[in-house]
Amino acid sequence: MKAGFFEANGRQMSRGAILLLMAPFFALVIFAFLYPLGSLLSLSVLEPSPTLTNYERVFDNPIYATVLYRTLRMALLVSLLSLALSLPVAILMANSRGPKAVFLTACVLLPFWSSVLVRTAAWSILLQRNGLVNEFLQGIGITSEPLRLLYTQGAVVIAMTHVLMPFMVLPIYGALRNIPFDYNRAAAICGAGPLRSFWEVTLPLAMPGILGGFILVFLTALGYFITPSLLGSPQEMMIATLISQQIRENLDWPFAAALVGVLTLLVTIITLVFSKVFRFERMLGARA
Amino acid sequence: MSQTVSSNNKGASIEIDRLAKTFGSVRAVDDVSLTIEPGEFVALLGPSGSGKSTVLMSVAGFERPSAGRIMIGGKDCTRLPPNKRDIGMVFQHYTLFPHLSVGDNVAFPLKMRGVAKAERRRQAEAALEIVRLGGYGDRMPKQLSGGQQQRVALARAIVYNPQVLLMDEPLSALDKNLREEMQIEIKRLHAELGFTVVFVTHDQGEALTMADRIAILKAGRLQQVSPARELYERPSNLFAASFIGEMNMLPVQWDGANATFSEREHIRLPDSASIETVPSGRAVLAVRPERLSVTSPGETGSWRATVSDVVYAGAGSLLITHLHDGSEVRLRVASAGQAPVRPGQAIGIKVPPEAALLYPADAAR
Repeated sequence: MKAGFFEANGRQMSRGAILLLMAPFFALVIFAFLYPLGSLLSLSVLEPSPTLTNYERVFDNPIYATVLYRTLRMALLVSLLSLALSLPVAILMANSRGPKAVFLTACVLLPFWSSVLVRTAAWSILLQRNGLVNEFLQGIGITSEPLRLLYTQGAVVIAMTHVLMPFMVLPIYGALRNIPFDYNRAAAICGAGPLRSFWEVTLPLAMPGILGGFILVFLTALGYFITPSLLGSPQEMMIATLISQQIRENLDWPFAAALVGVLTLLVTIITLVFSKVFRFERMLGARA
Repeated sequence: MSQTVSSNNKGASIEIDRLAKTFGSVRAVDDVSLTIEPGEFVALLGPSGSGKSTVLMSVAGFERPSAGRIMIGGKDCTRLPPNKRDIGMVFQHYTLFPHLSVGDNVAFPLKMRGVAKAERRRQAEAALEIVRLGGYGDRMPKQLSGGQQQRVALARAIVYNPQVLLMDEPLSALDKNLREEMQIEIKRLHAELGFTVVFVTHDQGEALTMADRIAILKAGRLQQVSPARELYERPSNLFAASFIGEMNMLPVQWDGANATFSEREHIRLPDSASIETVPSGRAVLAVRPERLSVTSPGETGSWRATVSDVVYAGAGSLLITHLHDGSEVRLRVASAGQAPVRPGQAIGIKVPPEAALLYPADAAR
């Protein structure tokens, strides 16, 4: 049953064809990603001379660890929140047919048609002192004077969740859509009510999509720049903003490179742990 | 074999009372009434679109009837959701949960009923033994062949001792040999465990060999409900006659005692030939090809025909002949001990009067 690496559904490709198909993408990855990343990372250990001082600086000053910790916490929060919001939407989408399904999909994809900048700016309008949210809160009497909503971690989490939600909804929807309807019937006839059937059958079968969406959103949120820098407080920076600041304001490339190195390491570790704990490939393979 | 699974058994009766189901303007099931005795094995047989699956799904609770009632074991289940009906079901495509081991799949209904883990494991293993898959509990469904998977599905359906077992074309995904093996397996389980079976199939051979009674459906309506033999030998209408097995159908004139062909050859029919009263006038004479035999042309009481084709098929041969008015008559005769018949040859066809059936012409499909 074990198929070769370059073999799918019994079809085998010649080595030349494989290389030809992969060449454009890998060229792009190498020249636009691996090469700059490599040179940046080499900067972190070679400047001013071969040294680890740049990394020592990251860990010496507790402020950087705080930023790192805050970034992790907020990325986790964003992922959990968007999971909680996405699951019902994905379930609804997977159970809809016809015009209703088209409408729901359009709603989810709509944000993709406007730029992240626009979406983030929209939130800063909503959350400002005399914005819609403050007016509403005062209107229903929850607060008598405007709250400070903008430039808070809450603002960043809400806006980032909004921006990243499609990346959660779509994989979950895909996984749910692939579950044959008969499984739920089989569960029902076995005595499972709708909730039990969802918990025992639908959820485990949708797990690859859920984990895929979760890790996609989590990793994206870890390195997210625009939303935190526009809606966040400068006192509560996330790591992407910090890196950008080091490069643009302090012109401290080696130190920025060391921060990138730490972030990259973190992402790698998290991905590895995730795939180990949830046996990621096995589940993806099992659903293929 | 295991006491846990084979105890407590006697099937439940199923009463389907004036069931109707419409999808938009389509009447998928139209006024179907059928009473199934406890422990009986009933096959629902019909072409696709006949409503047989809709009837089954209504009994399972997956379809809400537009009208009518469904009683299982004397209890009105019409509005009861499937998970509260306590029936077992085997689906067409196995539908084993791919994320659970074979053992956990079989134990699933027990888990839903709050049976403790050790006990469910024991009962699941017992059920697997019943379908001859003892020791397979730790494997994943994917590691089993199609036939094995369907047997696991069977084990899952019977593990909690349901009084009713529903099967929705359970064998159609299997190849011929496996299918026959499974037919025997299901019959054996039915005999051993005594539950009531409702079995949907479009395969008439399967229905004839397995079921105590066969219900034939066409376009949402019940055509006939009879034991296999009666269905084959005395189909109650032209649709049932043509749907089961091969049948020669000849247009005739009926005067109340004699059926006359256009060329004035006629046959005197016993009263038993008509299942219901056939009014005089145009009618259809139906006779199974294997009830006909070849004699010399012109023999009294035989039909004169010309052979157009001879299809040799081992034990039997198929003769395709034409009467003088052009209507085709097929004969199935034993190949051995038969004088060779060639295309173009004139023969006589001998028709035992008791083999002929008469139907009113306007009842044709």
